[in-house]
Amino acid sequence: MKVSRVGIFLLLLVILAGTLFPLLWMLYSSLLPKSVSLASLSDLFKPEITFKNYQEVFSQAPFGRFFLNSIIVAVSVTLGNLLFCSLVGYAFARKIFPFKRSLFISVLLVLMIPAHILLIPLFILINKLNWYDTYWALIVPWLVNPLGIFLMRQYIQVLPADLEEAARIDGAGEFRILFQVVLPMCKPALAVVAIQVFLQNWNMFLFPFIFTSSESMRTVPVALALYQGYQSIDWPHLFAASGLSTLPILALFIFFQRQIVSGLTAGALKQ
Amino acid sequence: MDRQAEFVGWANYLRLFSDPDFWLALKNTSFFVLGTIPFTTIMALWVAILVDQKIPGRGFFRAGFFIPSVTSMVVIALVFTNLYAKDGYLTLLASILGIPVPQQGFLFSTATALPSIMLMDVWVSFGYYMLLYLAGLQAIPQELYESAEISGANFWQKFRYISLPYLRPMTLLIILINTIRSFQIFVEIFVMTKGGPLNSTLTVVYQVYEVGFNRFQMGYASAIAYVLFVIIMIFALLQMRLFKVGQGVAE
Repeated sequence: MKVSRVGIFLLLLVILAGTLFPLLWMLYSSLLPKSVSLASLSDLFKPEITFKNYQEVFSQAPFGRFFLNSIIVAVSVTLGNLLFCSLVGYAFARKIFPFKRSLFISVLLVLMIPAHILLIPLFILINKLNWYDTYWALIVPWLVNPLGIFLMRQYIQVLPADLEEAARIDGAGEFRILFQVVLPMCKPALAVVAIQVFLQNWNMFLFPFIFTSSESMRTVPVALALYQGYQSIDWPHLFAASGLSTLPILALFIFFQRQIVSGLTAGALKQ
Repeated sequence: MDRQAEFVGWANYLRLFSDPDFWLALKNTSFFVLGTIPFTTIMALWVAILVDQKIPGRGFFRAGFFIPSVTSMVVIALVFTNLYAKDGYLTLLASILGIPVPQQGFLFSTATALPSIMLMDVWVSFGYYMLLYLAGLQAIPQELYESAEISGANFWQKFRYISLPYLRPMTLLIILINTIRSFQIFVEIFVMTKGGPLNSTLTVVYQVYEVGFNRFQMGYASAIAYVLFVIIMIFALLQMRLFKVGQGVAE
């Protein structure tokens, strides 16, 4: 019995090593000087770790700008979702209004629509609004999402309504009740929505790629994918840039592992 | 964009049926979907069962397997482009294992480009489905296993008659989510092969991109996207039907 547990542990270690190898390889080779040939095994283990690639990434291409764009977009979209998913979720959980049921079902149906199908209609819409190649195009389409609405509604629905009633009797308005009474009790759900939206947006590629054209509007994933095509591939720099874009996500993951896991599984489990 | 739009009726849809590129894209995409999902699902279930055993460091393993799922697909595709190159380490590993390596590397041969991307997809996505399976496994009442042990059931019997039936709804869900996702594969193709060599990795969403944004035929691209939507929905409904049959105990 003991032996088989040790066996399982070792087996898992091997599978995990295989799973993480490509990412570890990326981080390791981004720390090697350019003179080291990545292809030669004997060169690979000379201890010449350097951060030069990381410095050079910022001087070679406007990576600072790409990062700024990614941060502006991901943070705005996250804040927007916190606000709008709360508003809509609260209304679905607590209010009575005409067509509530059909509206809620239509929110769930939107969850089923494959995102890429929306590419062309969204592109046309963005052009008509004159938003092409602006932050509006990167932010506005994603300010609310059906999964977030669903999670907020589920969470608010099971909260006791007494506090809200008490606040209402004391003369608090609807917004005051939502922001000062309900939402402070929703921190776990808000955390799940925020992290999920941030991750998704930080890694988004196709939409920002199609909706922008000038270099100054590119986000990190778009810049990485295009950078590859510029010259013959410069792996150390490309990997340093990839590492930089991955590190915030890894840090987020280590700190908020529980919320990330419950966010990504909640969407699936509750359907 | 300035041109006055002209109503063309079903013309774009009719064109689709005689477009060999569309049929090729559909064939490649279906091959991708059918060729990855069984492996991803089995791998996810297998690793979930291993992690669910009473071993030290369960949280560590759970997190570790999940890391590729939170990493940007662009980054992963770039790393694998490097590993699959003709002097890359996966290529080296393949030649050590005696797998024939195409001269220009795996991504430059019509025979191996798509399967290489499929292998990467299994690698990158199984961790997420493993987590879902793990949640499913932990929802199974422990008493069932205990009473099975008392009646002398072995590991395989417990798996076959307790875990597997209980995981049935979860398996449906996993296959469903993965089907919807896999039919839309794009980023990997864009970064690694641009649909090549010789259209051997052309997928439906890549064709939508190509037709809509390189050839600027928005109407035709929309028709392709819409047909893809219908195909995905048909697949989803079929899977729900298939799994309901013989389920007996409904949720």
